[in-house]
Amino acid sequence: MMQKSPPTQVEQEFARGRRRFGRWRAEFPYHWDADEFVSRRELLRLAVMTSGALFAATAGIAALNYVKPLRTASRQLIAPAPAVPPGGVHYFQYPTAEDSAILLHLPDGRFVAYSGKCTHLSCAVYHDQQSGNLLCPCHEGVFDSRTGAPIAGPPQRPLPRIILSQEGSNIYAVEEVPQ
Amino acid sequence: MSMGNGYYFHGESTADVERTPPPGRVAIVLTGLAIGILLMGIQLWLLTVALDLYLSGGGPSVLVLTLISGLIFLGGLFVLRLLGRHPHLR
Repeated sequence: MMQKSPPTQVEQEFARGRRRFGRWRAEFPYHWDADEFVSRRELLRLAVMTSGALFAATAGIAALNYVKPLRTASRQLIAPAPAVPPGGVHYFQYPTAEDSAILLHLPDGRFVAYSGKCTHLSCAVYHDQQSGNLLCPCHEGVFDSRTGAPIAGPPQRPLPRIILSQEGSNIYAVEEVPQ
Repeated sequence: MSMGNGYYFHGESTADVERTPPPGRVAIVLTGLAIGILLMGIQLWLLTVALDLYLSGGGPSVLVLTLISGLIFLGGLFVLRLLGRHPHLR
């Protein structure tokens, strides 16, 4: 009659584990480490899926660029030109009643207008008479009043420019264009 | 699984399922992974540039960025498919 071989150390350990953890361990015999193991192939698959998501997001922005461009065209009277002397400023709302905007009469005689929302975090910018620049009080962003370009602080993009047209003595806003 | 003598085997361990590349190819595999992660970083950068361009009024360059991002994605798909056909290349 054959003698039954004594159980190995691993088998003894598992028998003890089975008594402790019950039947599920026998039906799901994966080691804890193996349960969380990610193979290189799985990592590559995950990376390709992430790459696809990034591509889809970029394609979505490109599609948005054509479907819903950030140009807003609507004609609106701002103010009579004589009401804003050279070096003066006039605050108004454009293109909607919730959007602040600034009309500037530059010392060289030109009229320029910009969106009043800072391109950093959309705080309202104002014209500083001393420096002649446009300032954002939230994070001390500074914009050049002649071009709308950021010259100091956290903003990286220029203020959107508002295209103007002058008919008679009246100044009209025609279109807001990001720049 | 049953061992036939009333005892159950302990199950898989990390060593059982982990297959290391052949000697001398570890550097190649790691380089490939590093390049893949770098390309994903470039894709993320392209996404932020595209968003910045969109907020600045857009233009045709957004399409170019999308094209480059798509090429990187297609490259990843190609490598995944290549490895699917040749399972020994891991």
